[in-house]
Amino acid sequence: MAPHHRKWFQAPWEFREAALMAIMTAAFGFAIQYALGGQGITLPAWPLNGVILTLLALATTALGLSFRNRPPVQWLGGIPLGLSLILSLAVLSFIGGMVPQGAEGNPAAVRLGLYSIFSSWPFALTVALFLVNLGLSLVWKTVPFSPKNLQFILFHAGFWIALACGIFGSSDLQRLIVPVYEGRSTSRGLVSGGGREVRDLPFSVKLHDFSIEEYPPQLMFYDPESDRFIMAGTQAVTEVRKGTTISWKGTRVEVTEFMDSAMPGPDGIPITAPPSAGIPYAKVRITGSGEQPDTWLSTGGPGMRPYVAGIESQILIMVPGSPKSYRSAVTIQAEGGRSLEAALEVNKPVNFEGWKIYQMGYDEESGRFSTLSLIEAIRDPWLPGVYLGFFMILAGNTLFFWNGIKRSGVEA
Amino acid sequence: MIIDFTAAAYLSIAFWASGSLLGIAARGNSIMKNAATGLNLGGSIIMIAFIAMYWSALERPPLRTLGETRLWYAALIPLVGLLVEQRWNISWLKYYCMALAGFFLSINLMHPEVFDKALMPALQSPWFIPHVVVYLVGYVLLAASSVAGWHNILLTWRKKNTLQNDAIGHYLALLGFVFLTFGLVFGALWAKDAWGNYWSWDPKETWAFIAWLIYLGYLHASSWKVRRLNLQWYLALAFLVLLVSWFGVNYLPTAANSVHTYQQS
Ligand code: HEM
Repeated sequence: MAPHHRKWFQAPWEFREAALMAIMTAAFGFAIQYALGGQGITLPAWPLNGVILTLLALATTALGLSFRNRPPVQWLGGIPLGLSLILSLAVLSFIGGMVPQGAEGNPAAVRLGLYSIFSSWPFALTVALFLVNLGLSLVWKTVPFSPKNLQFILFHAGFWIALACGIFGSSDLQRLIVPVYEGRSTSRGLVSGGGREVRDLPFSVKLHDFSIEEYPPQLMFYDPESDRFIMAGTQAVTEVRKGTTISWKGTRVEVTEFMDSAMPGPDGIPITAPPSAGIPYAKVRITGSGEQPDTWLSTGGPGMRPYVAGIESQILIMVPGSPKSYRSAVTIQAEGGRSLEAALEVNKPVNFEGWKIYQMGYDEESGRFSTLSLIEAIRDPWLPGVYLGFFMILAGNTLFFWNGIKRSGVEA
Repeated sequence: MIIDFTAAAYLSIAFWASGSLLGIAARGNSIMKNAATGLNLGGSIIMIAFIAMYWSALERPPLRTLGETRLWYAALIPLVGLLVEQRWNISWLKYYCMALAGFFLSINLMHPEVFDKALMPALQSPWFIPHVVVYLVGYVLLAASSVAGWHNILLTWRKKNTLQNDAIGHYLALLGFVFLTFGLVFGALWAKDAWGNYWSWDPKETWAFIAWLIYLGYLHASSWKVRRLNLQWYLALAFLVLLVSWFGVNYLPTAANSVHTYQQS
């Protein structure tokens, strides 16, 4: 707490001045944003971003070392300002957490940058001041070095590095969406979020095969009256397998046969088919109320109508299972000659010549019959810096944890 | 196969309730005290056993839906209370913890969830379990720190608070913050693999970041000369922000474009 007898701006500065500084910084940022007609900040790309970042680090170090005993500089690198900036950043993020980002809205709010807060001037200026504050405290705890400051240094330097590399590196990030059909090859990608802008890749991607594995289909009742699906009164999704039974309101359904992948034969009875062409079929025995001869159900698919069964006022249907996994077998070929065979899958990107290649999606309308695979190629040269910061934060936190559980009871 | 959640939940609640009553009745009697601790532990062990069986029946970790995460919460939070009792000899916290756990199980009893084995491809990752479990532990510790905060405010009003009580709230927040940090970083590392970006200001990420900043603010305030009672208020209220980040996000106008809110069913 600031001592109450201290006047505004009377040395030593504390929370009041710090809070004012944080508010002014954000207000100044909003003013710039508004004056520029809502235009957010555009950070320079390599090498200028590297130069600016280096200058910031050098200036902070020089300021911290040359004027370490000056009260205004101490304040600039002290906890009151740090805390005020942390809370200011929380408030700005709160705007980003409440206002749908990237959406349309009230023109004045758009112009202030509330719909793109994370690339707005107030956010950028607050982060810049944040880096100075954090940087100064870091310089003081690092020079002269003492092992007991290690925990502090790891945390704060890690955060500085991760934040600085993340923000300054964002202008060097390239994200390209590469649509490719089975049997074809391409070396062009659409800039992610860039409308129809197309760019050439330094490599080509050939798609040999795209495949989807699905969870088993499910049995459900459909009530046309209320247009609702009813899960047969149980709390379980009923996966269709041979022998699956469900009972509901006096009707009992038992699956007597199940085919993962089949096609209607000449007499309407399904026959097994390869997964690339077939759809799931199940033969069900319905007893109790709504009893009827055994009948086939199917999920339907391109050019194949679903088979359903009417049971009194309801319809028994089989809905396809959700996708369990999908993968693209590809060959990636660099212009220079190196090539790589890979199976791309969600969560399993592949590294190639400084790029990370991802399985992104497919033609969802065709579902498991999709011959189109959406692949994403991402280049983020600053990633190692960000990760270094992350690991330092984790290392610092591990020490923090250790000291936290070692100490017990009342603090010093 | 579906295991009987209702029976397990009532059994756990019964263990916690009888353990609490016995604990209160025990006063100085150490045999009764140990029996009470045994019952309290038993309640959590039942929940842990249930989670293990549910996991094997689902053929995937039960961490996908909010209701599933509440099971973990219910199992873990009484353990924090018991740990604090062991470590710092403070026994009031465990009663609040068990009450909270019972509350979470009651929500699940009132809103039974659908038993669904499906796990979307983005969730099939080695990061899934560490990320969510670390967050759960963080939430558990910070929930306890908030309880400590409220408790200490009441004690301060009645002029009965002690430095030791404040220290408990502080350590719980500190440990919770460490887990929150790990959760955040694990989430970022996972997002890089799953979506290509370690950070995309998705509403869930934004709220996790806000909550992290709020607790970061607490740590900095507590290392400065901030009045003790104000710090207790801070801890007590900070948990509200964490609640938004945990499940409130699902109800915000921004939720529609989130890629990783828990599934609601
Ligand atoms: C990564 C998470 C962070 C943790 C766990 C953390 C923790 C701490 C702790 C425990 C102290 C007290 C150190 C001491 O008195 O010896 C401290 C001081 C400080 N922190 Fe942080 N902090 C973090 C991030 C930040 C950030 C993001 C800022 C940026 C504004 C910041 C700015 C400061 C400043 C300026 C000090 C005062 C340094 C000094 O006393 O010389 N910290 N921090």
